[in-house]
Amino acid sequence: MRVRELLPRGYAFTIVGIAVGVAGLVALGAMAERITRFIDGGDRFVLGQISVAGEGMGMGTGFTAGGLLSAAKIAEIAAVPGVSGVQAQVMMPLNTSTSQFLTLTQELVFGMDLTVPIPNRHYRELPVRTGRPLRPADRRVTVLGADFAASRRLGVGASIALGGQDFAVVGILDKTFTAPDKFALVSIDDARELWLRRDPLLVQVFGAGSLRRGDLNTGAAVGWAAGQDPDALARRIQASVPGVNVTIPGEVSQLLRQSTAFFSALLLGIGALGLLIGGLSLSNTVTAAVFERIRDFGVKRALGATDMHLLREVLGEALGVSLSGGVAGVLLALGIGAAVDARVIRDGQQLFLFSPRLLAFAVVFSVVLGGLAAGYATLRIARLSPAEAIRRGG
Amino acid sequence: MLVRARGLTKTFTGPGGMPVPVLHGVDLEVKGGEFVAVSGASGSGKSTLLNLVGLLEPSDAGEIWFGEERVSHLRRRAQARVRGGSIGYVFQSFMLLAGLTALDNVLLAARYVGRERGEARREALRLMERMAVAHRIDHYPAQLSGGEQQRVAYCRAVLNQPPLVLADEPTGNLDDEHARVILAELHALAAEHGAAVVLVTHRREASAGADRVLRLEQGRLVTS
Repeated sequence: MRVRELLPRGYAFTIVGIAVGVAGLVALGAMAERITRFIDGGDRFVLGQISVAGEGMGMGTGFTAGGLLSAAKIAEIAAVPGVSGVQAQVMMPLNTSTSQFLTLTQELVFGMDLTVPIPNRHYRELPVRTGRPLRPADRRVTVLGADFAASRRLGVGASIALGGQDFAVVGILDKTFTAPDKFALVSIDDARELWLRRDPLLVQVFGAGSLRRGDLNTGAAVGWAAGQDPDALARRIQASVPGVNVTIPGEVSQLLRQSTAFFSALLLGIGALGLLIGGLSLSNTVTAAVFERIRDFGVKRALGATDMHLLREVLGEALGVSLSGGVAGVLLALGIGAAVDARVIRDGQQLFLFSPRLLAFAVVFSVVLGGLAAGYATLRIARLSPAEAIRRGG
Repeated sequence: MLVRARGLTKTFTGPGGMPVPVLHGVDLEVKGGEFVAVSGASGSGKSTLLNLVGLLEPSDAGEIWFGEERVSHLRRRAQARVRGGSIGYVFQSFMLLAGLTALDNVLLAARYVGRERGEARREALRLMERMAVAHRIDHYPAQLSGGEQQRVAYCRAVLNQPPLVLADEPTGNLDDEHARVILAELHALAAEHGAAVVLVTHRREASAGADRVLRLEQGRLVTS
């Protein structure tokens, strides 16, 4: 079949109509994908390690508890049977304000003790897109999360001030669509230095000689040996090491799921809405396009076309038109998404995630629904006599 | 006898479901090579008669025979075969497909009868040359004059050399000069190619030269 028959004249409006519907579907789906990836990423993270912090102000749990985790406590944790490794960490918000409530959705300076392998089973290493990862001996260098770098238009070789000190950017992480996208990774020594410079009270305590630099940790990531039940191990740590705040991976995951239940319901609603709006728009456009040609069908039947002839022709055209509209809709959504994200990335945000499965689904959805709508309309018209079709077509 | 119609009856449904009878038991016979003109007042059922004979619409009662085959009672698919291979239609409003070029409109007649495309294209070009529209083959209907559109429509109607050509007010939208061209072609079709031509018209001059002139009155055909 020739291209001209697949995409006959006068279909531009139909293609635009389909494209708008598909673009709406894809844009809504991309927002849902974005939120899903964020929630799943957080869930994977908490299920991959046991997070421990010192007992602090009680404003949060794990890394966000707010207390110090001393080197002695870290050694005690490492001695608990079943623990495979403990990595000391320092995590602090990049921008301090009068309200310093630490969350994983803000930009953080994240210091890791790189002499110890990352214990998180789901993040053995953070994937670097450009440049190189941090090395144990690194000082005054940083590897930035994708959003962190994009919002400041920083690349490898650039320089950034963290806590009033200049750091050379040596690497940019791959996009993870979760917390590390907003991290500035530094060595733990640099992080401790920044912490001391930022917190005068800490300097006083530190200056009194009761603390050493190795005691300046906001928390630690704990790994477990093969065959160990992480939840049981977390409870053992809590029971055998006093003065620490231990997160139970399974419980945190459940809490995370419960606290994001609203978002999950929202996603379901967005998905259903996208399918409904996109599907109705597409099927209505295709059906209207077929009904507009009712006179043509009458003429073709007068010339000897059978129902099968018409159905085959219309399905062929619907395939071409739906495919064109679907692809155009995907491109339109990508364009809208890129334009919006280019604006919100200045605030370190990204609204859309156009996953391959979403784009493939949108194109297949448009072709299948377009074909069904065209087939339905054709069968309706085929019930008319040729003369009646010509009369109705005016 | 090429075409025989017996007792054709047709009633339409009007506003409020009121029955509007149009044809009451019409009989019609047309031989090959015969040119029959059917006249009548507007709304007398001329076009309806043509639609029934041309299998474009089912009758409420009656039969239509093509030679020895009772085509009025064939299944839809078989009727489509008869329409494509044995009947050519010329409509008052041309009925060209807006999305196809003049040549593709003509070739549409060959598409559904399984005719080889190259051979059909040569025949289409020959016909369009004869009808003086060969220079318009790549033009779309909206780019053609009314006379040109009807000549293209005529080419489409006769591309498959159908034994029966039904022309429904083919000159209704044409000026006198173009009307003469179309009428001359229809007469030549009957005289030179042996096709049966049934012409529906309300123009007296269009009936001139017909072998028979029939008139539809009160739903019945009478000899004029």
